[in-house]
Amino acid sequence: MSTNRYLGLSLSVLLGVAWLPEAGAQMPAQSACHNAAAPRTAIYFVNGVTTTRDEARLNGGKLELQFLHKLPTMAPAVQAMCHLFFLNINPTSGAVKDFLEAGQQRLGLTSTTFWQGLEGAGLATSGVIAQVLQRSVNNADQIDQETIQRHASAYREQIASPSCRRVLIVPHSQGNLYSNASYDEVYGQVEKPPLGALKIVGVATPADAVQGGGLYRTSSTDVLISGIRLVLSGTLPANTHWGISPLLVSPAYSGGHSFIGYLTAEPSRTQILTDMESSLIALASVNPC
Amino acid sequence: MIGRVHAENLLCRWCVDTVGLLMTTGVLSGLLLSCSGENSTSASPSQTESIAGMDADANGVRDDVDRYIDTTYAGQVNADLNKAVRQYAKAVQLSLVDADSHTLSLTHATERFRALECLMARRPDEFHTIFVDIRAQLLNTPSRSEAYLNADDQVKTANIPLLPADQWVTACQS
Repeated sequence: MSTNRYLGLSLSVLLGVAWLPEAGAQMPAQSACHNAAAPRTAIYFVNGVTTTRDEARLNGGKLELQFLHKLPTMAPAVQAMCHLFFLNINPTSGAVKDFLEAGQQRLGLTSTTFWQGLEGAGLATSGVIAQVLQRSVNNADQIDQETIQRHASAYREQIASPSCRRVLIVPHSQGNLYSNASYDEVYGQVEKPPLGALKIVGVATPADAVQGGGLYRTSSTDVLISGIRLVLSGTLPANTHWGISPLLVSPAYSGGHSFIGYLTAEPSRTQILTDMESSLIALASVNPC
Repeated sequence: MIGRVHAENLLCRWCVDTVGLLMTTGVLSGLLLSCSGENSTSASPSQTESIAGMDADANGVRDDVDRYIDTTYAGQVNADLNKAVRQYAKAVQLSLVDADSHTLSLTHATERFRALECLMARRPDEFHTIFVDIRAQLLNTPSRSEAYLNADDQVKTANIPLLPADQWVTACQS
């Protein structure tokens, strides 16, 4: 074994197994998807604030990769289902524009440094953008009913015939608020889908509950959510962490709030996947239509 | 209706929460910014540079970005990654130039998704840092950054189909 390889492995042991390289680039197709009679689940990622569409695609991709890596060791009931991945976009380009202006005018950031640090808490929590966010508090159009309706409609369509799919939502950050609201919208209709056909596994949630008795993971090292909890004590308590992770000091992930960070660091990664597994086991027992 | 009111309250609360957070983490964020060097002033391109920029070889990617990709992802070992990153760069360049068109923005957003799926297939453990890096190079002026966000705005309610992970590699252009 070369010295570099030895040092790399030693570092991996020190930092946790999450830092070992992932398995091959080409994922095999899910065997259950070859069986037309196998039950289908729709797994949705819902993005948080300051997440552009491209980042949302990558977040959803990370979720899919991590899930598929663990799928062979999941319960037989989960392996027997064909899991299809989707995005429900929470449009945030307006907020990012505001941050961009604030970053350039008040912090003197170049455009390049702005985009390099967009996910870092350094920019997202910088005091100089307080005005931007304070404006949001008084701005009625920040409450996006159209998005809630669009998301709820997508879930209803998945559950209803002819799709007849169970739905698992994995929202990040502000996406948790949209997911809870969409859940209420779905079950607030006169014609309700079967109870338990829609479940949520929240990540980094600023909410005080997960609708439908869903599970969640918020890290004690998440600066953003920890700050929110200082102001609003009802915010769900932290129940995971990122361990000793270089992500915590990385400019791109500082603040411990990034979705990809949650799915890279341990134990948060394994715990989120375990929550998904137990939610899917529960979903397997429900006939959606 | 109750659910809607609940949602409004929660979403309002999100904003209030965030403002509260700003006050509690101001010192920390200052440290983070200074430590990460994000305040550093580096040479930036002319603010009057056009959105399209210079593309002397007409390959659909700005010359400065071409040079950056070839320098950063050099060698045979990175040949596949070099192509994947250039595929994304090309899709972003088209998105910027056509940001005023809803129809073209949708087409280019789909092209960006395919390019990102290719990138995830090529580097499943590194794709995010590669993405952050190349996008920062592509959006190196305020006008390019705004065009990118405008292009996103054009398709904010669109539902762009995703390729499943076992098909991501098929999104790679040769």
